[in-house]
Amino acid sequence: MPLDITLFGIQMPTLLPIFALSAVVQILVDRIMSDTGFYTYVWHPGLFRTAIFVCLFTTPCLLIYR
Amino acid sequence: MRAINISMNVLYALPWRRALNEWLSIDAPILIYMLKATIAGLSALWISMKLNLPDPRTAIFTVFIVMQPQSGLVFSKSYYRVVGTIVGVGMSLIMMGLFAQDPLWFIGFFALWIGICTAAGFKYRNFQSYGFVLAGYTLCIVALPVIETPLEIFDIAVSRFSEVVVGIMCATIISDIIFPRHLSESLLTAERERFGNILSTLADPKSVFKVFDETNPAVSRFSSGVVGLNAIRINSAYESGSDQKERQHYSHLNHEYMNLSTTFHSLKSIIAAIKEDDQALLQRLEYLYEPIAFALQTRPNTVVDSDDLSRVVGELLAAKSRVKERFEQRQYDDNDTYTSAGYLIIRLLNELHNHCVTYLSLLKHRLSGGANKELSPSVRFATHTDNVLVALAALRGSGVLLLTMLFWIWTAWPYATLTITMAVVIGLLLGTLPSPIDGVKDFFKGSVLALGFAAVYDFLLIPAYTSDLLTLGIFLAPILAFVGWMTTRPKLAIFSFGFVFMFMSQCALDPLYKIDPTKFLESSLAALIGVIFGGMAYLLVNFWSCSLTQQRVSKILRRQIVRVCDGELTIERSALESTGRDLVQQFSTQGRLNMRSSRLVFEWLLATLEIGRAILTIRRSLKRLQEDFHSIHLTIVLESIKSYFESPQDSERETLLNRLDAALLVLRSGTFPSEKAQRKRYETLIIEFSLIRTIIVNSTTFPLMKEDSCR
Repeated sequence: MPLDITLFGIQMPTLLPIFALSAVVQILVDRIMSDTGFYTYVWHPGLFRTAIFVCLFTTPCLLIYR
Repeated sequence: MRAINISMNVLYALPWRRALNEWLSIDAPILIYMLKATIAGLSALWISMKLNLPDPRTAIFTVFIVMQPQSGLVFSKSYYRVVGTIVGVGMSLIMMGLFAQDPLWFIGFFALWIGICTAAGFKYRNFQSYGFVLAGYTLCIVALPVIETPLEIFDIAVSRFSEVVVGIMCATIISDIIFPRHLSESLLTAERERFGNILSTLADPKSVFKVFDETNPAVSRFSSGVVGLNAIRINSAYESGSDQKERQHYSHLNHEYMNLSTTFHSLKSIIAAIKEDDQALLQRLEYLYEPIAFALQTRPNTVVDSDDLSRVVGELLAAKSRVKERFEQRQYDDNDTYTSAGYLIIRLLNELHNHCVTYLSLLKHRLSGGANKELSPSVRFATHTDNVLVALAALRGSGVLLLTMLFWIWTAWPYATLTITMAVVIGLLLGTLPSPIDGVKDFFKGSVLALGFAAVYDFLLIPAYTSDLLTLGIFLAPILAFVGWMTTRPKLAIFSFGFVFMFMSQCALDPLYKIDPTKFLESSLAALIGVIFGGMAYLLVNFWSCSLTQQRVSKILRRQIVRVCDGELTIERSALESTGRDLVQQFSTQGRLNMRSSRLVFEWLLATLEIGRAILTIRRSLKRLQEDFHSIHLTIVLESIKSYFESPQDSERETLLNRLDAALLVLRSGTFPSEKAQRKRYETLIIEFSLIRTIIVNSTTFPLMKEDSCR
C-alpha cells in the first residue's frame, strides 16, 4: 500500500482514511457488543473499547509501514 | 484471630471512618477529575508538539472545553465538537473561496452564517446546540486570521482541525480509561430517588388532599427533572456498555413520570378548588383514595429491590379493583367535580401501577438481563422552541458581528479580529443561559484573572525555567489542575470558561517560544473589548419581559389546544406532554418569570395538557361510538372549546360553560348503550366532558388573564 493516496485531487496520508474507516467499524462493533450485553463480562469497558480501536487502527497501519 | 476481629471493630467504630467515607464520596472524585484533566491536557500538548502542529493551545483548549466529570458527557460533547468543527472549517473554505476579495459580500455572508448558527444553537438542545456554536466560532478562528493572505486558508483549516481532533482524542480516551464515571450510574441514582419520592408522596393522603403546600419539598419536587433527566439519558448513549434496552426503559420511565405528575397536579388543583364547606365531597374523595394509600403502606423504605417491588405491584393491582368498585357505587353522581376527581384518582393509580411495572422491569433487566415488560420503542421526547426567541437570538448574533466588523474597519486595528471572535463567542455561547448578562460579567472576570496568570507564565516562568517539553509540562500542570478544579464548581462554570479561553489564547504554548509584550497587551485588550461588545448586545437586544413571556406562553398553549381540536388524531399524549414541559422549561429560564408567574405558567400548562388530552380522548371515542348515541351537542361543544381558545372572551366562556352543561345533561339523561365496549366509550365521554368543565370553571387565569401577576 502507498504511504499517500489522492482523494478528489487532494493528496493525503493513507492513515487518514484508515482512521475514518476504523472509527466507523469501531462504532458498529461497539453497538453490537453493547446491545448483546457483552460489556457486562468485561472488567473495564472503556479500556477494552479503546484497545479494540487501537487494534483496528494499527493493524492496517503496520501493514503499510512494514 | 479474635484480636484481629476486635481491632477491626474498633477501627470501624472510629470517628474518622465516616470522615473517610465522606472524603471518598465527595472530595476524591474532584481530585481524580483534576488529575484526569491535567493528564489529558498535557498529553494533548505533548502529542501536538510531537506532531509539529502550529498551534498546540487549540488542542489543550479543546481538552478543557470537552472535559466533564462523566465520560458520557465528554463523548457527546466531543462528537458535536468534531461535527461543528468540520462544518465550520468547510464553511470557511467556501467563504474564503467565494468572497475573500469583496468585503461587503464577505461581511454579509458572515453575518448570515453567525445568525443561522445562533438561531440553530438556540433551537436545539444539549450539546447539539454546542455543535452549532462551534460551527460559527470555527469560521472566526479559521477565516479571520488569514483574511489578508487568503491562500493560507487551507493550511490553517487543516491544522486547526487536526489540533481539535488531537484534543478530543486525549479527552475522551483519558476520561473513559482512568477512573471512568458513567452517566448511566447517575441516571440510575436519580431515577431511584425520583421513584422513592413518588411512592412516599402518594402513600401520604395528606400530600394529595391538603391545600398546595410550598414547604413540602416532596410535592413541589413532583414535576421537576423531566427535561434534565432526558438530557442525561441522551448523553449516556455514547458511553461504553450502555445498552439500548436500558435506555428505552429510562425513556419510558420519564414519560410515565411525566404523565403521573400531570395527573397528580391536576388532581391537586381540582381538590384545592373545592370549597372548605364542602367537607362531604372531600370525604368521599378521601374514601376513594384510601386503597392507594393502603397499598403503598407496605412499600420498602430504603433502596427498592425487585422482590419488594413485585409485592407493591401486586398490592396496587388489588387496590385498582377496590377503587373502581368504590367509584362505581356513585358513578352517575351529577357532581362534575366528583366525577373528574374520581376519574383522576383512578388514572393516577393506573399510571402508578404502570410506572412500578416498568421500574420493576428495569431492575430485573439490570440484574439478570431479562426484562419482563415489552416496551414500544416509539416514545419520543418532542421539543418546542418559540420562534420569537430564536429570531431574537439570531438578530443578536448577526448584530454583534456587524457591529464588531464596523469596529474593525473603522479602527483598522490588526488585532480587532480577536474582538470579533470574542464577541461572537459570547453571543453564541451565553445566549442559552438564564441570565446572560451575569454570565458575561463572570466571563469578563475570568478573562482578567487569566491575563494575570498568562502574563506570569509568558514573561517569567516559561522563558526562565522551561527548556523542553518536560519542564513545560511540569510548570503547566498546576494551572491545568486549577482549571480542572474550577470546572467542577457549578458556580464558577462561566468564570472558568472565560479563564480557560483567555489563558489558552494568551499563554505562550507555541512550538518555538515567541512572545512580545506589545502583542500580548494589544491582543488582550482586543479580546476584552470583544467581551464588552458581546455583553452590550445582551443589554441592548433584550426587550423580553415577564408579561411578554406570559403572553407568549399563553398564546402557544392556546394554539396547542386549537390544534388538538381540529388537527389529526394521531398526536400522542407523550408528545403533547413533552412539548409543553420543554416549552415551559425554556421560558422559565429565558423569560425572567418571578416565582408567582412561574407557578401560574405551570398551572396553565397543566390545564392545557388535561384539556388537550381530554379532547383527543373525546374525539377518539366519538369516532368509535355508534351513530345512535351521538348528539349534536357534543360537536357543538368541541367547536365552542376551539373558538374559546382561539379568541378568549368572557362571553365565549359563558357560552362554552352553558354548552358543556347542556351536553353533560344530554349525555347523563340519555339511554346508555347496552354493549360493553360502547358503554365504556359513552361513560368516557361523560367523564372527559366533566373534567373539561371542572378545569375551565376552576381556571381563573387561563386563557383569560384577569390580573397582572408580574408586579
